[in-house]
Amino acid sequence: MKRLWKTIALLLGLLVLTALFFYVMMRSGPLAPVPVTAADVEERAISPALYGIGVVESGAVFRIGPTSPGRVKDVFVQVGDRVEAGQKIAVMDPVDLDQRTAAQSASISRLEAVVRAAGARTSETAAKKKYAEAQSKRYDNLLKSGAVSVDSAEAKRQERQVTASAWASSNADLQAAGAELERARADLDALFSQKKNLDLVAPAPGLVSSRAAEPGTTVVAGQSVAEVIDIRDLRISVRFDQAMASGLRAGLPAAIVLRSRNGQVFSGTILRVEPLADAVTEELVAKAVFDALPEVIPPLGELAEVTVTLPGLPASPVIPDAALQRWNGSLGVWVIENGSILFRPVKTGRRDLEGRVQVREGLKPGERVVVYSVKALTPKSRVKIYATLEGIRQ
Amino acid sequence: MADQQKPGITIEGLRKRYGSGETAVDALKGVDMAVSPGEVVGLIGPSGSGKSTLLKCLGAVIEPTSGRMTLGDEAIYDGKWKIKDLRALRRDRIGFIFQAPYLIPFLDVTDNVALIPMLAGSSDGDSRKRAMELLKALDVAHRASAMPSQLSGGEQQRVAIARALANRPPVILADEPTAPLDSERALSVITILNAMAKQYETAIIVVTHDEKIIPTFRRIYHIRDGRTEETAGEGRAVDKKQNIQQEEETA
Amino acid sequence: MISLAGRDILHGWGKFTLTGLGLGLLIGVTLTMGGVYRGMVDDAMVLLDNSGADLWVVQQETLGPYAESSSIYDDTWRSVAGMPGVEAVSSVTYLTTQVRRGTEDVRAMVVGVDPGMPGAPGQPGYLSSGRHITRSHYEAVADAASGFRLGDEIRVRRNTYTVVGITRRMVSSGGDPMVFIPLKDAQEAQFLKDNDSILQQRHRTASNPSLNRPGVPGLLESVIASQSSNLFVNAVLVRLLPGVDPEETAEHIRRWMRLEVYTREQMEDILLGKLIATSSRQIGMFLVILIIVSAAIVAFIIYTLTLGKIREIAVLKLIGTKNRTIVSMILQQAVGLGILGFMIGKISATFWAPFFPKFVLLQARDAVTGFAAVIVMCVLASILAIRAALKVDPAEAIGG
Repeated sequence: MKRLWKTIALLLGLLVLTALFFYVMMRSGPLAPVPVTAADVEERAISPALYGIGVVESGAVFRIGPTSPGRVKDVFVQVGDRVEAGQKIAVMDPVDLDQRTAAQSASISRLEAVVRAAGARTSETAAKKKYAEAQSKRYDNLLKSGAVSVDSAEAKRQERQVTASAWASSNADLQAAGAELERARADLDALFSQKKNLDLVAPAPGLVSSRAAEPGTTVVAGQSVAEVIDIRDLRISVRFDQAMASGLRAGLPAAIVLRSRNGQVFSGTILRVEPLADAVTEELVAKAVFDALPEVIPPLGELAEVTVTLPGLPASPVIPDAALQRWNGSLGVWVIENGSILFRPVKTGRRDLEGRVQVREGLKPGERVVVYSVKALTPKSRVKIYATLEGIRQ
Repeated sequence: MADQQKPGITIEGLRKRYGSGETAVDALKGVDMAVSPGEVVGLIGPSGSGKSTLLKCLGAVIEPTSGRMTLGDEAIYDGKWKIKDLRALRRDRIGFIFQAPYLIPFLDVTDNVALIPMLAGSSDGDSRKRAMELLKALDVAHRASAMPSQLSGGEQQRVAIARALANRPPVILADEPTAPLDSERALSVITILNAMAKQYETAIIVVTHDEKIIPTFRRIYHIRDGRTEETAGEGRAVDKKQNIQQEEETA
Repeated sequence: MISLAGRDILHGWGKFTLTGLGLGLLIGVTLTMGGVYRGMVDDAMVLLDNSGADLWVVQQETLGPYAESSSIYDDTWRSVAGMPGVEAVSSVTYLTTQVRRGTEDVRAMVVGVDPGMPGAPGQPGYLSSGRHITRSHYEAVADAASGFRLGDEIRVRRNTYTVVGITRRMVSSGGDPMVFIPLKDAQEAQFLKDNDSILQQRHRTASNPSLNRPGVPGLLESVIASQSSNLFVNAVLVRLLPGVDPEETAEHIRRWMRLEVYTREQMEDILLGKLIATSSRQIGMFLVILIIVSAAIVAFIIYTLTLGKIREIAVLKLIGTKNRTIVSMILQQAVGLGILGFMIGKISATFWAPFFPKFVLLQARDAVTGFAAVIVMCVLASILAIRAALKVDPAEAIGG
């Protein structure tokens, strides 16, 4: 009796082992069904969106520098300062300009004195001329009456001529002195202009974004001493992959996330799509602006992620992009019918950023397709549908 | 001297030589023996006397060098084996009882005994029935479904005896069957052997040097140096209390 | 007739089961090692299958992109796309590097792919969860072997990526899991150095007087900008139109574009013959030794088991059991042990194989071969033992 029970117990154990063995052979051999998940084809409207990475920049960047080589004398601003239009940013070293100005001023003073002297002489000669003219006229009249000698009349006439030329000469001197004074004044003005030119001022209100040269540095013409950006004109230069940017145009709403402020989404708009794209990186460039400037201005050069929402599309059959697979040279899906799978090529439409793809041709809403699998599928594969493939090891 | 109504087993001039040439050893140098059915004879001899060799020849385990062996009416050896299937001979016509029971450890008591007739072709049912009969006769039937390891030495020995009798062989060879047993058990075994011999008309040869049972033999063969000598034994009976009675032979 | 083998097993079931267990584990280890070997080869093959490519266009005179590094200009794809017979092309980059998640990191092969439509060459063919990459930056699809999960933030070189999809069996030939990121990010990861190096390079450029001329404002910035552009990819994957001869198109590209092109067969040779050759030979040799040793141990166990029954065999012989019966008893036990051991071995191997860090491929045909081998070993060993047993003189059972 004991033997019988023992036999039964051992046979039972053997049975369990054999069952386990066959289970193992079935489950992992080529006959084993492939675990997959499935989804129904839905009819829904998707909103495609575009995604690009952009850099914060300013519409207007003023590079402020001297028009001729010189040495920087003083820089009055620091990076980050706000400046008004016309505010002095820096000033170049005048070198000998001041001395030349002083010299010129002194020269002008001297010339003024010369003019005054010439003027006085001219008055003097003018008076003498007038007197001599009057005398000559009188003597001429007297000559007519015979009261004076011809000699004396001649002498008076000669005096008249002498004084006239004396006056002409001093007048000419006066003109000359006057002209020289004008020229000296003009020269002084020129020096003042030059001096003014040494002042580097902000052409518009903005933010000092860089201080490129320190006092004492020698700069050439065209080299910037400081840069000022117009912060009212802040924009983001976004790059979109050309292949994935259809529908991009000005006016579309954009959601902006700054790299340093993850989680905070700013609303913005696409200002324009640049007419020049980047052929090397194969990207389109667009400018996006904030609808409302952030309180803390993001630094120029900071990266931002820009998502542009395109207008929603009308409802159509939609599948998850994981369902798209290639078989035999065409793109399609595995349709589940009566427990077995069949490959159906499809034509796809747009897709959104969450991985939903429109199916233009090949599927109807309500059909079931394979979404996830643990192995590549073939038409001969048997499948077993699970809710999730988490934890299923192959 | 011996009852020879029907010869159980007879040996004439049996020789056995091991090896050849210079190193040859003659274990048996011409042995004569005869045992009748129903008789229990003793075979006594020191070690090296050739008694193992004789037993092996009797058991058709080794081939003698020359001589004659007859079992029942049939000559089984006369210079060469006359039986083709020695194994069948052993299985059907010779029973073995060893010093140790040598039961098959993985068969229970009944099947240890029933195996013999099964091997001879009997059905499982008949074999087990025969086994139970023998076990009853040997007073060990209450252990029929136990495994050998669960039995005492004496019980195992009795099962071994039952096994030896299972095919009703005409000859049983017992090699020191009482060696490991105490006197009471030893005498009990001899009693059983005698009873079985009579009941089944089996000729039994008991090789022994156990002083306790030697008095029970009526005939004894002494073997020394490869030769046998027949003597008369005391033939004492064993009473109910397993004591050796005084011999009852008339003087 | 009693089944002697059955009774013996029943009586000594503990020893039998334990022996079977021991044999089974040994067989399981051998099967697993075979699986490791096959897994190695499969890793290499799967790399080629999953790329979905018919041709690999790489730098001339290299064995790239897997066996050797290869750099080609990233606008090469345009010319390749125009070649006759070409259906689709994709630029790809491959970079084996540590990918960090939090404080831990994983060795992975970072693959740069164009996040266009799924189904382009180089893209993963199927996912086990999540979705494909839709954004042109900072998204990643990782293989399940990496241990990453959906939503994890992982770091590759300088940037952080969000895992949006999980794949299976997307591994490099060395078994490293693949992580797919957008091509531009991958180019930056591979060809743009880390921040410290970039700063140092800028300093060096700035201190170079021929590049930093005071009279030419803007020159330094232009030079620095050109140094940070990423103009290279590692390979262009090509998918051919149906019916096109790969070698023909490959030769065309080789001749006219001065690039190296490998067909699928040639890539197989390179991967198996050069890249994983030493490792697979290493494992292969060990596998052979293991098989020999396992066979020997199986044989030894069966032999010893049988020899332990010498006494019973002698008694059985003596009481008249046919040799055939005894042989059958031993053989039944040996084969039974073999079958038991094999079942235990196959079950164990199947259960612990998924826990290995690299892929273990247990094929049904290996199981069949293994089973046949085990049975043969059991039969051979038991026959040897039976011969020894049958030689036993039943007279031994009769005392000296």
